[in-house]
Amino acid sequence: MSGFETVIYEKSDAIAFVTLNRPQSLNAFSVRMRDELFEILSAIKADDEVRVVVFKGAGERAFCAGADLKEFLTAPSAIKARRIRAVRDLWRLFLGMPQPLIAALHGYVLGSGMEIALFCDLRIGSPDVVFGLPEVGLGILPGAGGTQTLPRILGLSGAMDMLMTGRRMDAEEALAKGVLNEIVSFGELYPRAKSVAGRITACDPVVIRYAKQAVIKGLDMSLDQGLELEWRLARLARSGPAAGE
Amino acid sequence: MKTLTYREDGYCRVVDLVCCPDSDSAAFQAAEFSEICDRLAWDEDARVVLLYYDGGITAPAVDGTGEPFSQVEAAASLKQPVIAAVRGNVTGFGLELALACDIRIACEDACFGFPQVLEGKMLCHGGTQRLPRLIGQARAMHMLLAGGLIDAAKAVRWGLVHRTVSSATLATAAMDLAAEIADKSPLSLAFAKEAVYGGRDLTLDQGLRMELDLYLLLFSTSDRVEGIRAFREKRKPEFLGE
Repeated sequence: MSGFETVIYEKSDAIAFVTLNRPQSLNAFSVRMRDELFEILSAIKADDEVRVVVFKGAGERAFCAGADLKEFLTAPSAIKARRIRAVRDLWRLFLGMPQPLIAALHGYVLGSGMEIALFCDLRIGSPDVVFGLPEVGLGILPGAGGTQTLPRILGLSGAMDMLMTGRRMDAEEALAKGVLNEIVSFGELYPRAKSVAGRITACDPVVIRYAKQAVIKGLDMSLDQGLELEWRLARLARSGPAAGE
Repeated sequence: MKTLTYREDGYCRVVDLVCCPDSDSAAFQAAEFSEICDRLAWDEDARVVLLYYDGGITAPAVDGTGEPFSQVEAAASLKQPVIAAVRGNVTGFGLELALACDIRIACEDACFGFPQVLEGKMLCHGGTQRLPRLIGQARAMHMLLAGGLIDAAKAVRWGLVHRTVSSATLATAAMDLAAEIADKSPLSLAFAKEAVYGGRDLTLDQGLRMELDLYLLLFSTSDRVEGIRAFREKRKPEFLGE
């Protein structure tokens, strides 16, 4: 895949690397970036060679500083925006990705940037990471799942604090509260993300997919239903990789 | 007897709950507070509600019939962000009330817990439901079944309390926090609150759909235009709540 303007896509050894690439605007999330990510993630979802995906941001200052506000106010009407979302819903595509997603984060991780990170399964950050959902201060609402994913990851209590005040969270606090899985120096960020990804690709890909599926889907179920799902997936995994397809 | 004081301060609505001597006066307080909350539902200038009280606050008598009715249910019904500013030992009913608020700020010498459970008193104002949702099941079980009090530092680590301050600065710190929230768009605040609590009981996929609808509904507001313009012009936005 090539010809992308705002995203770099690379694939090596069963690992896909998706780099948000608008460093001159702190990798601000634009309509073009949404469309390119939608195309890339759709392809990855169908690509059995890819066993894990690493998301990162180009440049030194930000993973992604949020939506590109230059594009707001010229955006289509609510009705049109809803129709576009129905056919090109990047966020539900994120939610439905069968492979584990790893976010390698540095600098600003704000707004849609944080919401991308929250759709990932593991978050590794450098010490300069700054998280934030500033939307309520802009008269808008997080529209990429933040009001749903943040409470599930940070907890209801912490999520309300961040959402109501728009306050930022640094790397140390994020680590203490489970938003970051680990902190490594900026120089170590991509090597570390790659080695975590490598540990995942060394495992049985079917088991990895099932484990992710069991957690994500199970959290939406009653415990009884979740246990049933886990048992069903475990039986499928035992009857061989082919059975899982 | 005066069971509470109420004042309006800009976009902030401040309620100071007095510690009632018995459950009858507490019931009177509940009715009074509930009336205020009903009014706040239609008060377009009420962007944030600040609730001060001592954690040992008395619960109104429960008659066991019908729906639970107390300060807790009234606070939980508010569409605005609600800040609980608490001092002392925040236990039992006092803690249940704090759990029904959105942001909790406490004195650094405050303690938190439900020792009443081990004394044979079942909680009836949401404690067993809100606590695990706010701090997770394992920590909630510890607080409910081990029955000991946790100190403010641990309450912060566990996400039960958002900030602690010295008792001398509780009032100013709470007002500062309220002012910070009052600067935001009241429509965004109310929608964000609705999305978070509404989404808590939905599947993630359903939650995303609901969030999208609320997000798109905000396209119709002038606050959205103002917020984005102010950001571009690098100035403070002036939200009207329209």
